[in-house]
Amino acid sequence: MDVTVNPLRAGLRLARVPDPAAMVIFGGTGDLASRKLLPALYDLARQRLLPQAFTVVGVGRAELSDAAYRKHLHDAVAEFSRSRPIDEDVWSSFAERLYYVSVKSDDGYDDLKRRLADLDREVGTEGDRLFYLATPPSAYATIVRSLGRHELAHNDTGRSRIVVEKPFGRDLESAHALSRTLQEVFTEDEIFRIDHYLGKETVQNILVLRFANSIFEPVWNRRYVDHVQITVSESLGVEGRTEYYDGAGAMRDVVQNHLLQLLALVAMEPPAAFDANVVRDEKVKALRAIRKTSEADVAERAVRGQYTAGFIEGERVPGYHELAEVAPESHTETFVALKVFVDNWRWEGTPFYLRHGKRLPKRATEIAIHFRTVPHQLFTPEQREGLEPNTLVLRIQPEEGISLKFGAKVPVQGVRIRSVAMDFVYGASFLVDAPDAYETLLLDALSGDATLFTRQDEVEEQWRLVDPILSAWSESADAPPQYAAGTWGPAEADAFIERDGRRWRQP
Amino acid sequence: MSSAVDRAVWGTQAPSLAALEGDLARVRRGRSAHVREQVATVARAAVVNIVVVAVREMHARRAARTVSELAMRHPSRAIIVLSDRAAAPDAPPRIDLYAQIPAIDRSAMVSYEQILVSASGRATDRLVSVVVPLLVPDLPVFLWWTDAPPIGARHFEELVAISDRLVVDSADFARPEETLPELSHVCSLGARRCGLTDLNWGRVTCWRELVTQLFDVPAWRPWLDRVDGIRIAFGVDADGRQVHPSQALLLVGWLASRLGWTAAEPISPSEAGGYLFAVRRRDGEVVRVRIRPRYALGMGAGDVVAVRIEASDGAHRAEFAVTRAAGGRNAVASVLLDGRPVSERSLPHAQNDVVELLSEELTIVAADRVYEEALATLLRLS
Repeated sequence: MDVTVNPLRAGLRLARVPDPAAMVIFGGTGDLASRKLLPALYDLARQRLLPQAFTVVGVGRAELSDAAYRKHLHDAVAEFSRSRPIDEDVWSSFAERLYYVSVKSDDGYDDLKRRLADLDREVGTEGDRLFYLATPPSAYATIVRSLGRHELAHNDTGRSRIVVEKPFGRDLESAHALSRTLQEVFTEDEIFRIDHYLGKETVQNILVLRFANSIFEPVWNRRYVDHVQITVSESLGVEGRTEYYDGAGAMRDVVQNHLLQLLALVAMEPPAAFDANVVRDEKVKALRAIRKTSEADVAERAVRGQYTAGFIEGERVPGYHELAEVAPESHTETFVALKVFVDNWRWEGTPFYLRHGKRLPKRATEIAIHFRTVPHQLFTPEQREGLEPNTLVLRIQPEEGISLKFGAKVPVQGVRIRSVAMDFVYGASFLVDAPDAYETLLLDALSGDATLFTRQDEVEEQWRLVDPILSAWSESADAPPQYAAGTWGPAEADAFIERDGRRWRQP
Repeated sequence: MSSAVDRAVWGTQAPSLAALEGDLARVRRGRSAHVREQVATVARAAVVNIVVVAVREMHARRAARTVSELAMRHPSRAIIVLSDRAAAPDAPPRIDLYAQIPAIDRSAMVSYEQILVSASGRATDRLVSVVVPLLVPDLPVFLWWTDAPPIGARHFEELVAISDRLVVDSADFARPEETLPELSHVCSLGARRCGLTDLNWGRVTCWRELVTQLFDVPAWRPWLDRVDGIRIAFGVDADGRQVHPSQALLLVGWLASRLGWTAAEPISPSEAGGYLFAVRRRDGEVVRVRIRPRYALGMGAGDVVAVRIEASDGAHRAEFAVTRAAGGRNAVASVLLDGRPVSERSLPHAQNDVVELLSEELTIVAADRVYEEALATLLRLS
C-alpha cells in the first residue's frame, strides 16, 4: 500500500482534516490565545475537523502545571467559544492533549524540545509543527532565534510552519527587519502572516464573485467603473487598547493591512490558478501599480482626523483626548481617507477612495463599485430625477451580501425613473453559522495553505504606500482635523471627495 | 379529495396554475412592501426546487415541515405531491392545487414557497404535467420520494426524468440491496443523468469520517493492510423487532470498496438479525466480518452503534474503534495496540435527523461516486 495516502479519504463529502500536528503557542496564557486561538481550536474539534493525533503546547513565562493551564483555558473557551455552552465531554477529551511548558530562559527551550519529542511518540504527531507567535512583537526575534539555535524549528520527520500576528512592523524598514529575522530560521513558504480579515467568509467571496462569474469581469475596469469606494467604519472607540493605539493610529492599525488587502482583491488581475503564490503574485502586482504618494501630494490625496466627544447609538462617548492613556499633545489619527490610483491598463484614471475611522456612526465594511452613467441620455432630466448611476456594493459586514442598484420605471403613466437596489444577502441563501475567521485560518495554516496569508512582498508594498503619508503627518505641526464621534469623519474628508465632483456613500 | 386537505397547513386552493402563481406573487409583493419603501426589491434568492412525493397526508405534512425548516439554508420552492392511493380509488381523476408562503421569522428575505398538488382518483399519469410548469426555471430539481419508489410506474419514471437528484431512504426498503441498484438503473435512463441519493448513506457519513481520521495518522495507516476482523453493532429497539442492518452493510461495502476487498464467504444471517461472513484482502488473507444488533438507549433502529477494526501483523495486534457513547450525542474514537490504549478522544456525533441529512444532500449537486462504488461492492459481496 502507498502509505502516503489514506485510501479511505476519497469523496467530496468528507471534510478536509489537516495532517497530525503539534501546535506550539508562544504567549500561551495571553489574551489572543485565550480569546481567539483556543476557542477556535475547540470549535474545530467540535466540528470533527482536527486530526486524531493533535496536541497544543502553550508556552509562557509563568510556572503553571498542565492541569492549571487546562483549567485556565476551559474558562476562557467557555466564555469565548461561538458555541456555548461548551460540550464538557468534547472539551475534556480535547484538553487531554493540551500541555504547558514554562520557558523563562534559554534552557526552557530544551525542555520544550524534550516535551515535543515525547508527545510525537505518544500521540503520533510525527514532528509536524505549527508555531504560533501570540506574544508582543518585541519578543518575536528572541523566540525565533531560540527555536533555530535549539534545533526546534525543523526536524527530519515533519513540516514546520510559523504564524505571525500583525502588526508586521510599524514601517517598511521595521517590517523588512522582522522578515529578515524570521527568515534566519524559517523559509518564506513556512511563514504565515495572519490578517484575520482575509479569513472572513465574505472576503473570500470577493474572489468567487469576480472569478467564478463571467458577467462582472467584462465591466470591471476603467471603461465602465467611474470610481470605487472602500469603507471600513467602526463605531467603537479605542478603549482597552489605547496605549497601543496611541502609538500606532488608524493608518497602521487598519489601513495598511485590512483596507489595502481589500483594495488588492478588488483591483487584482485574474490569477491563473487558485494557488497561494499565484493569487498573492497578482495581489502584489496590483499593490505595485498603486501610484506612490510623494510628501508634497499628501495634502491632496490623504485626510486624517481625530474624534471628539459625541453620541453613538444614543449614548454619549468621550473624545479621543479625554481617554486617560492618550498623550495630551497626541496627533494620532483615528480617521483616514485616501484617494488612490492604480496605474495599470485596467484602472488608469479610476480613483479608489478608501475610508476608515473609529467612532463613526455604525460598524460597516463595504466595497462599492460606482459605474459610469450611460453615454447618451434618452430620458429627460425630469424623467430621470430619481436615477443614480449603477452601483454594485459588496457588503463584508455586518450583513454580508451583494446589492446592485439599477434604474427602473415607476409604474405610473408616462416615464419616471428611479433607482432600486436588488439585494442579495448571503445569509438568506446559505443560512449556516459562518465559521470564525480564526477557525478558517488555523485550519489553513495547519494544512499548509497560505492563500489567505500575507506574503513578505505584500506587507512591504503596503508599507511603501503608507510610509510617505505617515511621515508627512508626523512632521506636520498641525493637529489632525477633528470630528464629533457619531459623524462620518471631519469636514475635510467631505471636501476632499467633493473636489472631484463625488460624494461619500452612506454604508 | 379536496375536503381532506387542511387549509391551515396547505394554504388556499387555487383554481388553476395561473391563479396559483398570481396568488404567490401577491403574497410576495405584500411581504416586500416595507422593504420597497426603502427603495429596495426583495430578491428571490431560491437555490433549489424540491419535489416531494407522498402517498399519505401525514407523510406529506411531515415532509413539508422538514422542507420548511431547510428553507433557511436552502431557500426553495417546494412542490408537494400527495397521491393518496387509499382515498377513493374509484372517484374521477382530479388534481387540486394549494399554495402558501409560510412565514419564516428570521428573515423576510428568505424565499420559501410551498405548493400542494393533491391527486385523487387514478390521476398519477397526470402528475408530471402539473409539476413541470410549477418548477422555477434554471434551478436544480430534487425529487424526494418519501416511500419506497414504485419502480416500473410511469409517473415515477417521468418525474425522475425531469429531476437532477432522486432522494430516497433505504432504511424503509424491505430489500435495500436489491432496490437500490434498480433505482440506480432508473436514474440512468433519462437524457440527463439523475443522481441517486440515499439518506441512509448520509447517516453513515460521520462514521466514515471518524474511521478515516484514525488512519490519517501515518503511524497507524499501515494497519489497514493487515485488517483481519470487522465488528459492527447497530441499534434495535428493546424487544428486537425493528431490525435494519442496511447502514452497517453500507459501511462494510464502503470499507471493502476503498480497500479492494472481495467476497470470500457469502453474507449469511446469524443470530437475531445479524450477519456473519468473510471477505478477502488484496493479499488473499481473510477478514472476518460480524454485524449484530444491539439494544442501545437513545439510538434509532438501524443506526450504527460501534465499529471495530481489528488488525494483526503476526507479532502485534491493533484495534481501531469508534463507538457512540450512551445517549448517542458523542462518539469516542480510540486506538489499542496490544490491548493498551494509545489514543482516545470524544467528539460530537452528527445529529442524523432528516432535516440535517437532507440539508447535507442539498449542498452536493453531483452524484456520489464513493456511494455508488460502496453499493456495487456490497452487491458483489452478497
